[in-house]
Amino acid sequence: MAAPAISMPSSSSKTESYVDNKRKEDIRQANIVAARAVADAVRTSLGPKGMDKMISTANGEVIITNDGATILNKMEVLQPAAKMLVELSKSQDAAAGDGTTTVVVIAGALLKQCMSLLSAGIHPTVISDSLHKAANKAIDVLTAMAVPVELSDRESLIKSASTSLNSKVVSQYSTLLAPMAVDAVLSVVDPSKPDLVDLRDIKIVKKLGGTVDDTELVKGLVFDKKVSHAAGGPTRVENAKIAVIQFQISPPKTDIEQSIVVSDYTQMDRILKEERNYILGMIKKIRATGCNVLLIQKSILRDAVTDLSLHYLAKAKILVVKDVERDDIEFITSTLNCLPIANIEHFRAEKLGHADLVEEVSLGDGKIVKITGIKDMGRTTNVLVRGSNQLVLDEAERSLHDALCVVRCLVSKRFLVAGGGAPEIELSRQLGAWAKVLHGMEGYCVKSFAEALEVIPYTLAENAGLNPIAIVTELRNRHAQGEVNAGINVRKGQITNILEENVVQPLLVSTSAITLATECVRMILKIDDIVTVR
Amino acid sequence: MAIERIFKDEASEEKGERARMASFVGAMAIADLVKTTLGPKGMDKILQSTGRGREVTVTNDGATILKSLHIDNAAAKVLVDISKVQDDEVGDGTTSVVVLAGELLREAEKLVAAKIHPMTIISGYRMAAECARHALLQKVVDNKEDAEKFRSDLMRIAMTTLSSKILCQDKDHFAKLAVDAVMRLKGSTNLESIQIIKKPGGSLKDSFLDEGFILDKKIGIGQPKRIENANILVANTAMDTDKVKIYGARVRVDSMSKVAQIEGAEKEKMREKVQKIIAHGINCFVNRQLIYNFPEELFADAGILAIEHADFDGIERLALVTGGEIASTFDNPETVKLGHCKLIEEIMIGEDKLIRFSGVEMGQACTIVLRGASHHVLDEAERSLHDALCVLSQTVNDSRVLFGGGWPEMIMAKEVDELARKTPGKKSHAIEAFSRALLAIPTIIADNAGLDSAELVAQLRAEHHKEGCNAGIDVISGSVGDMAELGISEAFKVKQAVLLSATEAAEMILRVDEIITCAPRQRENRIHAWKMICTSFHQGGNFVPILTS
Repeated sequence: MAAPAISMPSSSSKTESYVDNKRKEDIRQANIVAARAVADAVRTSLGPKGMDKMISTANGEVIITNDGATILNKMEVLQPAAKMLVELSKSQDAAAGDGTTTVVVIAGALLKQCMSLLSAGIHPTVISDSLHKAANKAIDVLTAMAVPVELSDRESLIKSASTSLNSKVVSQYSTLLAPMAVDAVLSVVDPSKPDLVDLRDIKIVKKLGGTVDDTELVKGLVFDKKVSHAAGGPTRVENAKIAVIQFQISPPKTDIEQSIVVSDYTQMDRILKEERNYILGMIKKIRATGCNVLLIQKSILRDAVTDLSLHYLAKAKILVVKDVERDDIEFITSTLNCLPIANIEHFRAEKLGHADLVEEVSLGDGKIVKITGIKDMGRTTNVLVRGSNQLVLDEAERSLHDALCVVRCLVSKRFLVAGGGAPEIELSRQLGAWAKVLHGMEGYCVKSFAEALEVIPYTLAENAGLNPIAIVTELRNRHAQGEVNAGINVRKGQITNILEENVVQPLLVSTSAITLATECVRMILKIDDIVTVR
Repeated sequence: MAIERIFKDEASEEKGERARMASFVGAMAIADLVKTTLGPKGMDKILQSTGRGREVTVTNDGATILKSLHIDNAAAKVLVDISKVQDDEVGDGTTSVVVLAGELLREAEKLVAAKIHPMTIISGYRMAAECARHALLQKVVDNKEDAEKFRSDLMRIAMTTLSSKILCQDKDHFAKLAVDAVMRLKGSTNLESIQIIKKPGGSLKDSFLDEGFILDKKIGIGQPKRIENANILVANTAMDTDKVKIYGARVRVDSMSKVAQIEGAEKEKMREKVQKIIAHGINCFVNRQLIYNFPEELFADAGILAIEHADFDGIERLALVTGGEIASTFDNPETVKLGHCKLIEEIMIGEDKLIRFSGVEMGQACTIVLRGASHHVLDEAERSLHDALCVLSQTVNDSRVLFGGGWPEMIMAKEVDELARKTPGKKSHAIEAFSRALLAIPTIIADNAGLDSAELVAQLRAEHHKEGCNAGIDVISGSVGDMAELGISEAFKVKQAVLLSATEAAEMILRVDEIITCAPRQRENRIHAWKMICTSFHQGGNFVPILTS
């Protein structure tokens, strides 16, 4: 039977060959090249000996970091495919919090392999499907390798947190920060929902001055605010009764426009006196409930406090912290186990929170307010981060955030895998073996996937100044002999059993890095055109 | 002597052959653009916005691609329109319709070149389309009576629709989601009550269907986080003080205490309003506008859950699903219709806390929560799921089902070919051309999958020569397969819409023999005139008003 005469590119080759025109190849090529460029940019920051990047933003701000998500976020990429890699890193940040560099590096390596597969004439969707299968298999392998961990096993949790911290600027403080991260997360775990951790329950307060050594976990509440010092008010209150108020202690102001008509100067005196009485009346009501610490929400409508009211409050021996943000109110009230008060009429003793001590502490050039010994404290924690300069401080915060995320991952999925490139090389080995039993293009693609994963140990070794080829081949050898946990010990510059070296990471970080990177690569592969639209 | 010009300066006119060429070329270019997205192995496109933010969308949904294009060609616009209509009417087949119309025009172009009059082509196309529809009608399967079979039909249709989308790897999961959601609607095609929430994080597999309504908002501080047997008042009202809205209204007082009194009165008004609201006997209050600190505290004291700043879409939906009405005055509690639900609670999806209303009055409502790696994935997943939902809800009403994978096209092509042989005259060329255009669809599906299309389509044709054959293209294994065994089905309604609207669009474009481009409206006229006035001033001459319009 004659083939239908339809105008189309002549395709004569056998099945699964790929016939396409030049433009589409070019677009795919351009996408892959751009995405790989992004991956290469962050490659050198992988691992404990990875280097940092200095980013100077458009408004002159300087950031030093080796957190992949932060670097990519600040890079203003325009190419759509490159943008997708940036998104990828963000997703990993949201899903696992750590491994944001790893995920991009894996995606870059996969794309490199895809290039050669494409040039061999394999259809992109075939590659895409094979990648999906390989990724699923990889997850199975990883899960099989994983070691279960109990939340009571504090040591293991600390180990994995310190693995994450070791690659950061603050690595020398990992012995301090790692236990802190573990304690912080464990203290906010709700026993009724043991799998969920809301990191918003952990508040990180940054304060310039001191060194990272001075970072501490505060059982209570920390404000980066000064106590109001007007008229010599108290700065330290024991047995505090704390009120969180959302109204203002200042002369009344109506929503409707108003003006006070003053016709002679005696009237002026009277108005001044009235103002005083008005404020005094409010403060008396406050005082009557036994409240001695006031946290006042910032107001945009009018002054939350005036000099006059501060003066009276000081006289009444009430400690005042003003300008508390509205967004923070929920955190504060749940921590202090009190209720916000929106009107002076509702100021009642049962709405107050209780704490043993509220004090202002001088730190370097600034001051903070600490509330400790809170009665019936909610499931929240504060971490006070210190640093000698703004750059270190910011990086310390980011690192701590990563460490917190690592611990959170362990809470939601309680498995650990070895670090130091061990899981990747093991995956590469097992997938390579699996590829041999597969038929057709699939086997070929899975083999490439397996090879791509070697990029992690390769880069780790390279960044550590070791001979990458020697290390990776040695690693392969050790894994072939059944040492599943052999990995690169960057400190010693050799290959050791990495589990014994206490280099561990949560399973969730590894699995999500592989699934997300594969998903992203598959999406890039499937694109054959860039259309400019409105 | 002929008239020199009829039109204004900028207006242009193209006639006869040139006009037809222009519209053919434009339409074919559009069809070629989306052609590669067709079928389970179709490719995606990046849509890069030229606007602010240079946003990037990755999609293979024909309607989405076409909607966002800059188009200057009249015929191309017609194709974009039919794709839009297809999207609104049946939701799926947006690419197919454009590709088929493009192919019909491509064939027509050849016929026109062979000096066949466009009108002859049109009448041939019409006969062919009618015949093709009949061929399909004879082959449809209707399983409406058998609930079990009908459900499996729906599952198959959903899987076929999803297999060409980003969700193809988890199509079982999503097909089940979509079928469950549509079955809850019990025959209504109102997709409003299916709410789709996108939350980045996790993988697509973690998406789930929730029986109830989820609102992406926070519960006020100090208020109960869980309410059973809730009475819900949905409102759109300002919760700050009622102000005198006349401009310049102000109060004059002569002492501070009076200001305090006014402030107190304002507070009192707020309190009254809250009391009125509470008097409705509710335990949940949802407002579209902000609820300020003071009313929030009052609600908290009364043990009422108050949700502020719910978006407009959110409250309309909430009112719909809980069976309430949106209220804005609270003086007559008996006339206000309250919403009800069994349970309100706070749930956590990914990193975010959301509020779930379960056991709502309108049992049809449900929420699909999509999870995925990034916003690109989520957006595309939403579009794909929407397509599947549309098709399913249409199928529930019109339960006739066909096989997929190029099977319907082959059936139609065969019948149309028969017709061509029976028809005397030039028309038969057009009918034959129609059948070739139909064959283009399986050809493109095969091409997109990197298969040898000529070989496969020829094989298919041979298979279809037998009566009652279920053969279609099995893209996964790259061969001709039995569609009934593979479980690839499509809704009859979609195919019919594709066939008819593509034919109509092709017909419309074929009829064109002259394109008149109107002169663009002058925007800079006024500025121009102003400049002239200015220059005449500068020259010091007498000022002559030039502005006439």
